[in-house]
Amino acid sequence: MGIDETNIWTEKYRPKKFEEVVGQDDIVKRVGNLTKSLNIPHMLFAGPPGTGKSTLALIVVKELFGKNWKENYLELNASDERGIDVVRQKVKDFARTKALGDVTFKVIFLDEADALTREAQQALRRTMENYTNTCRFILSCNYSSKIIDPIQSRCVIMRFKLLEKKDIEKRVKFISELEKLEVDNNSIETLYEVSEGDFRRVINLMQASASISSKITSELINTLASTARPSDIKIVLEYALSGDFLNAKDKLLDIMLRDSVSGTDIIKSIQKEIWNLSIDNELKVKLTEKTGEIEFRMVEGSDEFIQLEALLAGFVLAGKGN
Amino acid sequence: MIPLIEKYRIKTFEDIKGQSIAVQEVKNFYKTFPMKKALLLNGPAGTGKTSLAIALAKEYNLELFELNASDLRNRTKLEEVLKPSLEQSSLFKKGKIILMDEADGITATDRGGLPELIALLSKTPFPIIITSNDIWQKKFSLLRQKCKIVNLKELKEDEIKKIIIDVLNKEEKRIKLETIVLISKQARGDVRAALNDLQSVIDLGEEEYVREISEREKEENIFVIIKKIFQHPINEDTIRIFDNANIDLDDILLWIEENIPLEYDGERLARAYEALSKADIFRGRIYRKQHWRFLMYESFFLSAGVSSASKIKNDKFVNYKRPSRILKIWMANQKNQKRKSITAKLAKFCHLSARKAYNESFLFPLILAGLDEKSKKKMELDEKDIEYIQEKKADLIISKNLNRFRISG
Repeated sequence: MGIDETNIWTEKYRPKKFEEVVGQDDIVKRVGNLTKSLNIPHMLFAGPPGTGKSTLALIVVKELFGKNWKENYLELNASDERGIDVVRQKVKDFARTKALGDVTFKVIFLDEADALTREAQQALRRTMENYTNTCRFILSCNYSSKIIDPIQSRCVIMRFKLLEKKDIEKRVKFISELEKLEVDNNSIETLYEVSEGDFRRVINLMQASASISSKITSELINTLASTARPSDIKIVLEYALSGDFLNAKDKLLDIMLRDSVSGTDIIKSIQKEIWNLSIDNELKVKLTEKTGEIEFRMVEGSDEFIQLEALLAGFVLAGKGN
Repeated sequence: MIPLIEKYRIKTFEDIKGQSIAVQEVKNFYKTFPMKKALLLNGPAGTGKTSLAIALAKEYNLELFELNASDLRNRTKLEEVLKPSLEQSSLFKKGKIILMDEADGITATDRGGLPELIALLSKTPFPIIITSNDIWQKKFSLLRQKCKIVNLKELKEDEIKKIIIDVLNKEEKRIKLETIVLISKQARGDVRAALNDLQSVIDLGEEEYVREISEREKEENIFVIIKKIFQHPINEDTIRIFDNANIDLDDILLWIEENIPLEYDGERLARAYEALSKADIFRGRIYRKQHWRFLMYESFFLSAGVSSASKIKNDKFVNYKRPSRILKIWMANQKNQKRKSITAKLAKFCHLSARKAYNESFLFPLILAGLDEKSKKKMELDEKDIEYIQEKKADLIISKNLNRFRISG
C-alpha cells in the first residue's frame, strides 16, 4: 500500500522509528527494549487521542518484522467492527497461520478497545488467552478504567501523557522547515492551545493552513479551528432565554444536522458559551449546573437530542425568571 | 366517473335506511306547517340529515332553497336571496322549503348570526329545515324552543353493511366479506364515510385500503393518547394509558417530544421535558443493559411524568404534529453520505476509526484537495469524490473568508 509515500501529513510525518517519537520518553524506552528482545507481552496503550499510541504500535511491528510487517500485523478498530463476533472471527482467521521469520508470533492492534462493552471485553479476554502462543495483542484506549480488570492484568499498561508544548514545538518546527512554511512562535502557541495536546489535530491544522497560505498566522489557525466548533450555539441559547423554545430547538437541530455535530460536542459548546452570555453570574452558575446534569444524562440516555431539548427548556425557564 | 357518494345520494323516502321514525316525523312536520315554523334535524355526520330534506322536497314536489351561515351575516343579502323566491312562489304556485345546513357553524353573538336566523323563523312563509351535529350546545337554547327537533341516530353496523352490499350489487363489483365488515366498522354509523371508504377500496384495491386503515387508526389512537397525557390531570388511567394502545413506545416518545412545545410553555414546558428526559434515561439503560423491567419507568415518565407538568384540565384545541425529527435526520444523512464515504477512505489510510475520521473531518476538504494524483489513486478517491472535495473547499473558503489569509503575489 505504500502508506509512507502519501502526502497526507498525518501519515507523511508519522514517526517511523523509536528515535523519531517526541515525548513519551519512558514508554518509548520500555517498548523499545521489549521489542529488541523480539518477545513482546500483550500491551495496553492508554492515553488521550493524538499522543502516539497507534504510531508506537506501528513502529513496534516494523521493528519486529522488517519488510514483512504487513503480513504479520492486523489492525482492528473496535468502534468500527460490528460486534465482538466479527473481531473474533478476524482474529481467528489471522492467527490460523504461523508468523514468518524469526519472530514466532503475530501482532494484533485493537484500537479504541474502550468502545467494546464489558461483555464483549470478556469474550475478547478468552480470545486473547486462546491465541496467546501465536498472537500478541496491543490494545489502545483513552481511559484504562473502561477496560475490565482481567484484560488489564494480562497486559503491560503504558500510560501516554498529553504532549507538552516543547514536544509540539519541536515537531512543528521540523515539519515547517521541510514544507517551507513560515510559522512564528505565536502560531505555535495557538496550535498548542486549540489542539489541546492532540498531535493529529496539530498536523491537520497545519496542512489545512498550508493549503491556504505558506505563512501560517495564529489568526488563520483560529479561524480554521473554529470550523470545528458549532458557531451558532449562541443564537440557540438566546432564543431559549427569550422564551422562544420552538426556534431554539429548530435551530439546534439544524446545526447538528448540517455539520453532523454530535450531541456531546454541542453540549461542550453550550457549557463554554454560557459564560459569554449577557446574564447575571448567579444564573450562569445555575445554567452550568443544569448543563452538567444533562451531559451526565446524555451518557445514560438513548437520545441525545431529547436531552438537549430538556436543557433548552431549562434555559427557557431560567430566562423567564430573569 | 361520478363518486359513489353522489351517485347513490338518497332521493326519496323509500331509499332512506334505518331512520323510519325520523321519516315519519319529517312528514308530520310538513303536513302540520306552520304549527312549527322550523324542523331541526340533529345527528352525527352521515346519518342522512340533508338527504331527508332532499327526500321531503321530492315527495311533495317542492323547491329546495339552500341557505348557508354566511348568508345570515348580511341582512341585505339575505333579503335579496329570499325576495325572488317569495315572488317566484306566487308565479309558479310551487311550494318551497328552506334548508339551513350545518347550523353548528353559526356564531351566537355576531351580528346577523343566530339572532338573524331566529328572526327569520317568525316571518318565513316557508318551512325551514335546519341541520346540526350538536344542537344541545347552550347557544342554541332559544332556537331549540322554536323548532321541532328530530334526532337522527347513527346507523347500525348491519344497516351500513346492507347499504354497502346494495351499492356493490348495483355497481356489479365484488369484494371480500371481511373488507365489507371492516368498512362498516370503520364508518362508525356514518354512511358518507362508508361510501367514501368503499370508493377507495374500488379505486386502490382492498389491501392498500386495509393498510391505510390501520395507519389511520394508529394515528387517531396516538392523538387521543397524547391529548389525554397533555390535557388531563393524572389519574389511575394515565399510568395504564399505553397498555391497550398497541403502539410502539418509541413512537409515542417521539410524538410527545414533537408536541410538548405546542402544548406547554414556561415552567410546564420545562417540567414536561424533565419527565421526557428521565424517560429517555431509562430507555437508554434498557438498550444498554437489556434490562427490560426499566420499561416500567420509561412508560411511567412518558405518561404520568409528562402529564404531571400541568395540574389543570385543559380543553384547548391543539393541532398536534407528526414527529419530523427522524425524517430530517434521515434526509441529512443522505446528504452526508458522500462525506461519510470519503472520510471512511481517509480512515483506512490514517489508522483511524471511521467514526473518528468522520467526527474530525471538518478540515478534510482543505487537506484532501491538495493531494497529488498518486495519493488520490492510493486512497481510491474517484472523480466524484474529488469534485465533492473541491466543492466543499470552495464553501469553506467563502464561509470563513479564508482568502484574506492568502499572501498576495
